Amino acid sequence: MAPILKLKNLTRYFAGLAAVKDVSFEIEPGGLVGLIGPNGAGKTTLLSLIAGSLKPTSGKIEFEGVNLAGAKSFRAVRAGIARTHQIPKPFRTMTVHENVEVGLRFGRHEKAAGTTKKAEEFLEMVGIAKLARRPAFLLSVGDLKRLELARALAARPTLLLCDEICSGLTETESGLILRLLCDIRRAGTTILYVEHNLRAIMSVCDPVIVMNYGEKLAEGPPTAVQNDPSVIEAYIGKKATI
Amino acid sequence: MSAADFLNLFIAAVLLAGVYAAMSVGMTIIYGVMKIVNLAHAGFLMLGAYFVFEAYDRFKIDPLLGVLLAFPVFFFIGMGVHWLLVRRIATSDQPTLTSLLLLFGVWLVLQNLGYLIWGNSDRAILTPRTLSSIEIGPISFPTIRLAVFVVAVASLVGLEFVLHKTWFGRSVRALMQNKEAGQIVGVNVNRTAQIAFGVGIAFAGAAGGLLAMLYSFNPDFGATFQLRAFVIIVLGGLESFGGVAVGSLILALAETFVILILPASYQPAIAFSLLVVALIVLPEGIAGLWAKRRRWA
Amino acid sequence: MGVKEGGNVGGSSVSRFVSVVVPLLLLAGLAAVPFVGTGPNVIRLLFMTLTLVTASVGWNLIGGFAGQISFGFAVFYGLGAYTTALSINGGIPPFSAFLLGAIVAAVASLLIGLPTFRLKGPYFAIATIGVSEAVRVVMMNVPFTGGASGYRIIDKARFVQSHHYYTALVLAVLAVVISILVRRSKLGLALIAIREDQDAASDLGVNPFVAKLIVHALAAALAAAAGGVYARYSLFIDPDGVFAFRNGIAILLMPIIGGIGTIWGPVIGAFVYGIIHEEVVANFPQAHLLIFGSLLILIILFEPGGVVGLFQKFMRTVRARSSVGSHS
Repeated sequence: MAPILKLKNLTRYFAGLAAVKDVSFEIEPGGLVGLIGPNGAGKTTLLSLIAGSLKPTSGKIEFEGVNLAGAKSFRAVRAGIARTHQIPKPFRTMTVHENVEVGLRFGRHEKAAGTTKKAEEFLEMVGIAKLARRPAFLLSVGDLKRLELARALAARPTLLLCDEICSGLTETESGLILRLLCDIRRAGTTILYVEHNLRAIMSVCDPVIVMNYGEKLAEGPPTAVQNDPSVIEAYIGKKATI
Repeated sequence: MSAADFLNLFIAAVLLAGVYAAMSVGMTIIYGVMKIVNLAHAGFLMLGAYFVFEAYDRFKIDPLLGVLLAFPVFFFIGMGVHWLLVRRIATSDQPTLTSLLLLFGVWLVLQNLGYLIWGNSDRAILTPRTLSSIEIGPISFPTIRLAVFVVAVASLVGLEFVLHKTWFGRSVRALMQNKEAGQIVGVNVNRTAQIAFGVGIAFAGAAGGLLAMLYSFNPDFGATFQLRAFVIIVLGGLESFGGVAVGSLILALAETFVILILPASYQPAIAFSLLVVALIVLPEGIAGLWAKRRRWA
Repeated sequence: MGVKEGGNVGGSSVSRFVSVVVPLLLLAGLAAVPFVGTGPNVIRLLFMTLTLVTASVGWNLIGGFAGQISFGFAVFYGLGAYTTALSINGGIPPFSAFLLGAIVAAVASLLIGLPTFRLKGPYFAIATIGVSEAVRVVMMNVPFTGGASGYRIIDKARFVQSHHYYTALVLAVLAVVISILVRRSKLGLALIAIREDQDAASDLGVNPFVAKLIVHALAAALAAAAGGVYARYSLFIDPDGVFAFRNGIAILLMPIIGGIGTIWGPVIGAFVYGIIHEEVVANFPQAHLLIFGSLLILIILFEPGGVVGLFQKFMRTVRARSSVGSHS
């Protein structure tokens, strides 16, 4: 089966500093791929590049065979990619319900009829249905993160990019979200999941990609990656020699 | 056109650029430290003009001295406006529309104050210096322009000194580059902002006085110069002092030499058009271009 | 800044009733004015105010809903005025002349918007000032339209004040209807999303450029229609009058006073501005800018939501008090 996403030598510079450098990998359809790495490794930048929020300096992003590198994010959404933001970006004066409506009405499958019902479904999925009528600026960080996910899901992506959606959530809430991700994946959505919570990633994702200093460090099944010496070095440091 | 004529025009442009730079630097400081676009700048230019005028008209104080006096007077006025109004609105790393509209309101009020106090007839500052000129060979330029240029440049040099050699100056430059980092290392943001606003207004007032020595004025006075200041700081890059110098020169040259092609009444349109073009083509100004070149090297 | 107004946020049935009945009553009242014998001066005042309503509601589409604050709407008002004037003198019937003015302004808005919408907030505002003033200066010098001396309309029809009045009224109603339709539509949702966070909106599939260009054209068309209606009434226009920077300011001030981003805010603001303007110019011609400048400062500092914002706060306290009372 052809990969749903193919990155080739993707690079992005910010004023002389390579945030993402020569990153290449492929994602199979229906995969739940984890992306980890220390702070500043370039994970969020990579997501932004794939989503179209940022323009790459060079390299290719092939989504379902089409090169999307340089396309603005609304085009990526039309093609089937949606993302959440590491720092939530809600539409503050809109209600939670309206926030999701934006994703629903401008996302991949635009349905004018039955909008209300469907939006509430997404709120149910992430567990914030009771906040539907609340203006977004009143939400806590954890709830905002879940709103991010609901919004992105409402855009009916074939490839969902999640950026640390479990940070700020309790153990129980995280569990709910992880189960949700697995359900979505089983329903056919491919997921690329950036997370700091290593236990969460290792428990649901396969394969796992590790980044550091903008480059791809390792790629493989969770256990292999966990034991990869370069990955251990990146997180913890070299073994001390006395 | 002879070489002498060309040189005359060129020198006229340079002299003008000096004043333009002094006129614009106030906005750069305020924008750099607080990310506020000071639309009231025009109002303070106007008040500065009248201040120097009154000093000369009533107290027979030489206008150049009046300009120097304007610095401290308007510094305190600026700090006052900041304390009264500006500090009450939230500022962020991005310029806000709230600040834009607030200062716009201040401008409207200042303009009206001007009308109420001085009426809308044109005034001018006429001294013996106004009509004399200096001749060096085939080149002649009005003394007044030279005098104004010297004061403008002197004040800019003074500003450079303050920015680089004083604690306040360092705080200002720190905040201009990164507000949060500045806070972390102990810069008192509010105090620095207040002083910076004061300095910005001080330059506005003084520059208004300088401009009043060159042009006649009425309470509407600030508007066209404010637009020119916009052009200059946009051309130069909103937060760069070197950029202000470059932008001033470009505008002054454009305005001076365009008279050869278009009738004088179109002149204001030059500034406006340059502004729009600059905003579109050079969103980060010339300073941005310059910085980018350094990156590619 | 702006009012915390969601589309369907818990509006009580009382407030929904009020927001339908009050405007209808107002409309009925306005329609009846020429019959009540209030005299030509009152009608003239209301006429001007109604043209201001149109321009204000129009500006609010792009400035309030989309959050792109333009300082230069005088350019569209002026383009409408001049296009209408030239058309009427060229034999085109008045309503077609208004339409022509609207179309010209809409096209101009595309030309202006395409390069400038890339700019962030204040830069965009400054650019609009530049464009507006550049056009004014050019019009001051172009001999074809009379330059600085202005331009006269030769209207073959007899001057019937009530015709002009009802034209302005119908146009104002049309503007408000368009405003409501846009706000409730998918475009309206997109605009608010763009206003709140353009990048996030794009990340959800909203094309910000197209949305802004469309609404800018609508806004420009309305401002131009207002200018055209004014031109036909006053029969004389000049660049320093219609293209004046202070017109652009007035057009932006009205929605801010009334409540930027709301449906009725621009309408309220236009009435407040129109009436204060009239009174102030009559009695304190010197204090015009002082009053509006101070008003703007006070609004920005204390109630950015304008009159509508004040009203909503008032309703909240009333509702809070009444619910406390009923639990006693």
